[in-house]
Amino acid sequence: MGKPFRRVLVANRGEIAVRINRACRELELETVQVYSEADRDSLAVRLADRAVCIGTARSSQSYLNAEFIVSAAMTYGADAIHPGYGFLSENAAFAALCQKVGIAFIGPSAKVISMMGDKTTAKRMAEEAGVPTTPGSTGTVSDLVEAKAVAAKLGYPVILKAAAGGGGRGMRVVWNEKDVAEQFANAAREAKAAFGDDSIYVEKYLTGIRHVEIQILSDGENVLHLGERDCSIQRRNQKLVEESPSPVLDEDVRTKIGEAAVRLCRHVAYKSAGTIECILDARNGQFYFMEMNTRIQVEHPVTELVTGIDIVKEQIRIAQGHPINMRQSDIHLRGHAIECRINAEDADNGFAPCPGRVQYFHMPGGPGIRVDSHIYSGYQIPPYYDSLLAKIIAWGQNREEAIARMRRALFEMRVEGVKTTIPFHEKLLCNEQFRRGDVHTKFVEDVLLEVK
Amino acid sequence: MPDRNLTYQDLLQIVELIKASSQFGEFHLKLGDIEVDLKRGGGKARQAAPVAALAAVATGSSATRKPEDEHDTPQRHGHVGGGEIVSEAVVSGTGHAQGASRGVPLAYPEGAILIKSPMVGSFYRAPEPGARPFVEVGQQVGMDTVVCIIEVMKLMNSVPAGASGVVTHILVEDGGPVEFGQVLVVIEPS
Repeated sequence: MGKPFRRVLVANRGEIAVRINRACRELELETVQVYSEADRDSLAVRLADRAVCIGTARSSQSYLNAEFIVSAAMTYGADAIHPGYGFLSENAAFAALCQKVGIAFIGPSAKVISMMGDKTTAKRMAEEAGVPTTPGSTGTVSDLVEAKAVAAKLGYPVILKAAAGGGGRGMRVVWNEKDVAEQFANAAREAKAAFGDDSIYVEKYLTGIRHVEIQILSDGENVLHLGERDCSIQRRNQKLVEESPSPVLDEDVRTKIGEAAVRLCRHVAYKSAGTIECILDARNGQFYFMEMNTRIQVEHPVTELVTGIDIVKEQIRIAQGHPINMRQSDIHLRGHAIECRINAEDADNGFAPCPGRVQYFHMPGGPGIRVDSHIYSGYQIPPYYDSLLAKIIAWGQNREEAIARMRRALFEMRVEGVKTTIPFHEKLLCNEQFRRGDVHTKFVEDVLLEVK
Repeated sequence: MPDRNLTYQDLLQIVELIKASSQFGEFHLKLGDIEVDLKRGGGKARQAAPVAALAAVATGSSATRKPEDEHDTPQRHGHVGGGEIVSEAVVSGTGHAQGASRGVPLAYPEGAILIKSPMVGSFYRAPEPGARPFVEVGQQVGMDTVVCIIEVMKLMNSVPAGASGVVTHILVEDGGPVEFGQVLVVIEPS
């Protein structure tokens, strides 16, 4: 079970490492921040009680190296590891290694990570729990012939997905029967190269859909949902803006999706924080399970602001064996929150990453503005990792106020020395369709970026 | 004051005395045209000054600030010789990170070779508890001489000297924690 922690190792970098350090400090837990040589000057390294260099800049020699990280935990007396998001956070082998050496992994068990990380197993679990899933093949298709048969039954268009994939990769849309053979070969090849597994499953390809996800907290007995986040503003399956509540969800559908998410988590005996991602067909209110993320998510602050719950602190408490001191009836969504992910990218140039030195950074503030960031004036952005600079989250009494506050924050915010996506977000926040809340997952690509 | 130059040995002694003092906040020494400035404590981002000052003393020239020092932050920088200092700045006080090893400002002789840890783990001076240490200060070593072991989750990794010379410093206690890149042993090549 659990025991109290004294020292937590933060096995991540950037803004989420800062976030975890902050939560630990509030809980009066010491932190050990591991870092690669490229992150020597990072904010998380400065905030931590102790910082330990574990390798060179390459992720495989540092943040993705399970042995180095566990060695650092054992050498420097950490009794728990928080993996953040990305990197090893959903790596079942890493969770198992922690368990083997007696270090608490702040997240679900290796078994659950493995189960929900396999897209076809996760889908089967959802079906068993009575959660609607996108019409598609039962498990993976063994060959092109089977793929064709399934597609014919579903009706085109269909989407081919890598069973071992995730994060929006390893997918191919097929619009006609004549394209199946080629796309199937492409998808299998890409899946093999990216994930080491060429298994493919087939799903009906739905258009005009929204991405709605449910935040879950579970201590193993008490399973709660913290409402939804609408993440329909995406580009190439990467989220750009998230908000809660979803502008199109009524109380009835919210309860249905929330209960379905809780059912699924109970069915797989889920423990810790997690997110159930769904597709929502706003035209008929039908939702379908897509995948589960068994970790803290980038956009968690959106839920924190509308519920008042600190999800990272709850994760740490749960990992220590504390029960969640809340019931579903205690959880209410109050007001509206929107998050904009500000990246070091040139939106006018295909969103090309632009690492460099942040000559000057002015952080926005004022009522209802929260900034989760690791950057500072003079910070040299390492070119080895993702391009996220800061998350700006605006809360308001209603959606209009949240949008007004976000616009005000972006107007005031300064990141000089590198190109950022601030202008892109400013344009989005003025867009009539977005302001009406009438968007879908292809909105950015089809509508916003089309208009030059 | 006696009319002689501050030698490398003198400097080591001064630094050892300072290090041993728990009350040390700031130390300033001016001797002729030589100045030594050491500061311990958090709050300020820059601690490049002590590095440059000590470097100047070690080479016996007047204090020159290397261009890259302007951008240094209070973390250690390790490198090879040239009379430069390996300074492991200790930034104490709440909310500031401490390096894996206690900061030990040291002056290394010109051309000194620093053997750094290839991974994070525990440092052992001998093949087994109770056995003779691999090397001692003053010992002659060759390219393949094992100088220590870094233990990573029960796996023992031998660290070879990688150079011929004499061991001048062993910087980590037996059994002590080490991080990637941390200086373990210093060799004067011969």
